[in-house]
Amino acid sequence: MAMTIDVERLGGNPPVTVIALAGELDASNYEQVIDLVRTAYAAGSRGLVLDLEQLTFMASSGLFAMHSAVRIMRGETPPDAEEGWGALHQMAQDQGAQASNVRLAAAQEPIARVLDRTGMLRLFALDATRAEAVSAIQGA
Amino acid sequence: MVVSGAHESRTIQVPASVDHLAEVRTFVRECVADFGGSKRVADDLVQAVDEATCNVMLHGYKSQPGDIDVEARLRDRKIEIRILDRGPTFDPTTAPERDTTSPPMPTRPGGMGLGIELLRTLTDEVHHSARPDGGNELTLVRSIDSQTQEE
Repeated sequence: MAMTIDVERLGGNPPVTVIALAGELDASNYEQVIDLVRTAYAAGSRGLVLDLEQLTFMASSGLFAMHSAVRIMRGETPPDAEEGWGALHQMAQDQGAQASNVRLAAAQEPIARVLDRTGMLRLFALDATRAEAVSAIQGA
Repeated sequence: MVVSGAHESRTIQVPASVDHLAEVRTFVRECVADFGGSKRVADDLVQAVDEATCNVMLHGYKSQPGDIDVEARLRDRKIEIRILDRGPTFDPTTAPERDTTSPPMPTRPGGMGLGIELLRTLTDEVHHSARPDGGNELTLVRSIDSQTQEE
């Protein structure tokens, strides 16, 4: 199953981009997500919601894309594919490693299970809905 | 894509390209369903096989042309999935262990460094052997009745 992506740029403070993923996120398409996050940041968005409501499968490549999204939205260079475990692990050890301006929304149970079993929920807040995630970033 | 076999044993052959991972996932999901496995068992095996197959594509064949065979069978209420390639010999069961509970896991796209720990979490057994005429045979076993280690 191919993945389809819908991008919505919202106003407010900070400006938030919502990227809704539908289908299967794997090694063949994860770079599309990274590219869209890069584009959103360049266009001025300082908050990001990844809407996972229609995502039915996520490979570890998807975790890499999410990690890259955090780095991009911090204004940092996304991790290099060969950067390795050490540097990324160091990021998780930082106090306040959980991103405040990047949130996940509406993950189905299998996707939430992948996030949980790989420890990624320490890095991301997972909200029940897209609206809740946007509100959390914008402090509404 | 080539699919053969009937009843309790089936095989799919795909080119060693990440563009074919979706075919492998569909194959595994359909096999588990036909064998009588639950959605949870299917989810876990699909995740494990995707991880292992992607590793072969990106880090075994290194994006060079080749084929991967994935065989699924039901034996003694255990689902066995064998992943066969012709890449350089690599035994993931001997890779250094990492703490899977501490983020972040991903170190590289595709195989991502999740490696053997994730496969062991998702399955009951993982076995590797070098094929006599070159390549690898990785076998993942999951009881059709089992829960995961997390439950």
